[in-house]
Amino acid sequence: MLRLRTMTALALPGLLLGAAAFGGAVQAQEAGSVTVVLSEEPDIIDPCEASRSNVGRVVKQNITETLVEIDPTDGSITPRLATGWEQIDDLTWRFTLREGVSFHDGEPFNAETLAYSINRTLDESIDCEIRLKFFGGIALTPEPVDTYTIDLKTAEPAPILPTMMGTMTVVSPNTPMGERTRDPIGTGPYRFESWTPGQNIVLVRNDGYWGDAPAVEKATYVFRPESAVRAAMVATGEADLAPAIAVQDATDPSMDFSYLNSETSSFRIDMTVPPLDDVRVRKALNFAVDRDAFIGSIFPADVIKSTAQVVPSISGHNPDLVPWPYDPEQAKSLLEEARADGVAVDTPIRIVGRGEIYPNATEAAEAVAAMLEAVGFTIDLQMVDVAQWVDIYTKPYAEDRPPSLHQTQHDNNNGDAVFTVFFKYHCDGGQSTTCDEELDALIEKATVSTGDERRQTWQAAFKRIHDELVADIQMFHMVGFTRVGSRINYQPSISTNSEVQLAHITFK
Amino acid sequence: LAEFLSRRTLYSLISLVGLVILVFFLARLTGDPTNLYLPLDASLEAREDFRARHGFDDPMLVQFARFLGDLARFDLGDSIRQARPALDVVTEALPTTLTLAAWTMSLAVTLAIVVGSLAAVRPNGPFDRLASVVSLAGASAPDFWVAITGILVFAVALNWLPTSGTGTVWHWIMPLTVLLIRPFGLLVQVVRGAMMTALSSAYVKTARAKGVRGRRVVFLHALRNSMLPVITVAGDQAAGIINGAVIVETVFGFPGIGKVMIDAITQRDFAVIQAAILATALLIFVMNILIDLAYAMLDPRVRYR
Repeated sequence: MLRLRTMTALALPGLLLGAAAFGGAVQAQEAGSVTVVLSEEPDIIDPCEASRSNVGRVVKQNITETLVEIDPTDGSITPRLATGWEQIDDLTWRFTLREGVSFHDGEPFNAETLAYSINRTLDESIDCEIRLKFFGGIALTPEPVDTYTIDLKTAEPAPILPTMMGTMTVVSPNTPMGERTRDPIGTGPYRFESWTPGQNIVLVRNDGYWGDAPAVEKATYVFRPESAVRAAMVATGEADLAPAIAVQDATDPSMDFSYLNSETSSFRIDMTVPPLDDVRVRKALNFAVDRDAFIGSIFPADVIKSTAQVVPSISGHNPDLVPWPYDPEQAKSLLEEARADGVAVDTPIRIVGRGEIYPNATEAAEAVAAMLEAVGFTIDLQMVDVAQWVDIYTKPYAEDRPPSLHQTQHDNNNGDAVFTVFFKYHCDGGQSTTCDEELDALIEKATVSTGDERRQTWQAAFKRIHDELVADIQMFHMVGFTRVGSRINYQPSISTNSEVQLAHITFK
Repeated sequence: LAEFLSRRTLYSLISLVGLVILVFFLARLTGDPTNLYLPLDASLEAREDFRARHGFDDPMLVQFARFLGDLARFDLGDSIRQARPALDVVTEALPTTLTLAAWTMSLAVTLAIVVGSLAAVRPNGPFDRLASVVSLAGASAPDFWVAITGILVFAVALNWLPTSGTGTVWHWIMPLTVLLIRPFGLLVQVVRGAMMTALSSAYVKTARAKGVRGRRVVFLHALRNSMLPVITVAGDQAAGIINGAVIVETVFGFPGIGKVMIDAITQRDFAVIQAAILATALLIFVMNILIDLAYAMLDPRVRYR
């Protein structure tokens, strides 16, 4: 009996000692290699899905490149696989391609192979997100002119086609047409090496790359849904970079960087259902929300109050607009005025919230609901899962829907407001609950114009949306947090939400 | 015994068929994956086209007939998300969860028998008190909290163990411990209770009166007869681990079936949901048969029922 008990007593400290002795066995990283820890594993790493952030962070500009690169700080574009471009006529853009570039499988990059890649991405028999998100309804035909010159013809004028090409990744002609691939082959500075589902994806440096050789030789991507674990992995040196961690885990200023992440949070107002069809009611909603109370409490301290669903670096953002101030008295009097005119302001208003749409989203929806009730609205807060949320958010809308506010967050770091405004505010937009002739005219005009005229027209559209129609309760341009380990230099930026260019990493 | 086995297998098959039908319709009850799969900006036409291409716009019974037809050819369909056979997704993930579950249950049962028996020998002694506190705390601690705290203490602060992932033996220590705590805590209580009953029973007193030595009485006479409730609870817990592993798999980045199942459900990846549920249900049925067999071996009365 005694012996047994002694053994048990020894067992636990023994185990701990054993672990301690092996403390050094905790993995150290090889020189030249980095480990990047992402929040979720991609389902697939087909480059034509690179606009999904978890795919893009692995693939975009690492394995596959685009003709041009969008500078997220000002929406301008710079050459990448194309060295130049010019508009030949309203319906044709001519691109000059970089010479001496080859794909990882040895195929040459030229007008023929580019045409194959474009046709594959736009093929309607597969559901490439790049097609659905950026090229929906656009008939685009690539026509090679000579080896390194290609004409891209569109059925309708496409004044920002070069910017749009900044979203489309270029793949090898050996990528299968009409089916998705789990084996991405591009021209980028890194080759796809292996994917062990559930465990990791490995990229290695492409020594035949046309551009400067980057410092990182090998990159391993691992996946941990828990932010605390991602932060811990960088802290212990098991990983070098966690592109997105939660605010509560960003506790070490020597490792953690905040950055505007190109997302904008707001509540969409369904203007088509009474009493929300009355502009006084929509203004009252805006006056009732004390945005300053959210900053540094429910939202991180670095968020910026927004006046539109695009961030300030997007061409067309209107810097002259002023966020609605907190003025509960004015909210109450606007409501009274509407009530006196027979508007049914006491109708319960549904808030459709989604808990995981951004950190503390439930608390944000609850706080907004409380603020609205404080000025006299009746609020019915419903938190739903992502599937229900999408069903309610997108057309076709239910005929008998109640007046609703919809908690949303929108990401546009593709340089131009067109990727936002049509879908969300045009009468025909798939997520629009706004239908205004004057606004539609502005949107249609901006879509086909260029340069200053384009920017000014978008600015006029945003003024119409924010000041006159009051189509949303705008909240904040959001921030993200990145943890960078002590071995490397990496500066997160507004594009970190959608890509992590390994070539931008250097070793200390 | 052969008749017993064949009867059990038949019952299991009937339940499996019922489960397959139930899962098929339940999964589709909340809608199809179109809106979750396509970007928000996708047009109405694109959505309808997607539905048509994947057959989600067919009547439910047509979809079900197609599913049964494929099933008859052992084809569980392709994962829409991953563009590969759902069965591959599941068979890749299953070994990790099975290894986790097997180690967890073996360790939990062994440790619980030792600790529970020692506690039962001197009820209310210091060891019994300690064992009770530890096992009750273990049985009621939330896995998630234990896992994150474990990482912060043993990986970040002490640097003894890796935070997460797979690769070496050291990677398994924390996930196993977290998974172990609850079944261990419960089983200690069960072993202790059963042993106390057994130790105060007539046959133990008789054995002692005949002069059999203390350790032999405890571990041969009493323990063997205390095993029936332990096996029942252990079987129950083992089935629970296959489901409950999802938290451990998520936190520690272990590529197991629990995480596959949760992801498939949230994404409405029907083929993967069906394959994963079918595979785990099969496992649980096999395990139940094994438990029944163990019962029959331990208790002759079961065999004659």
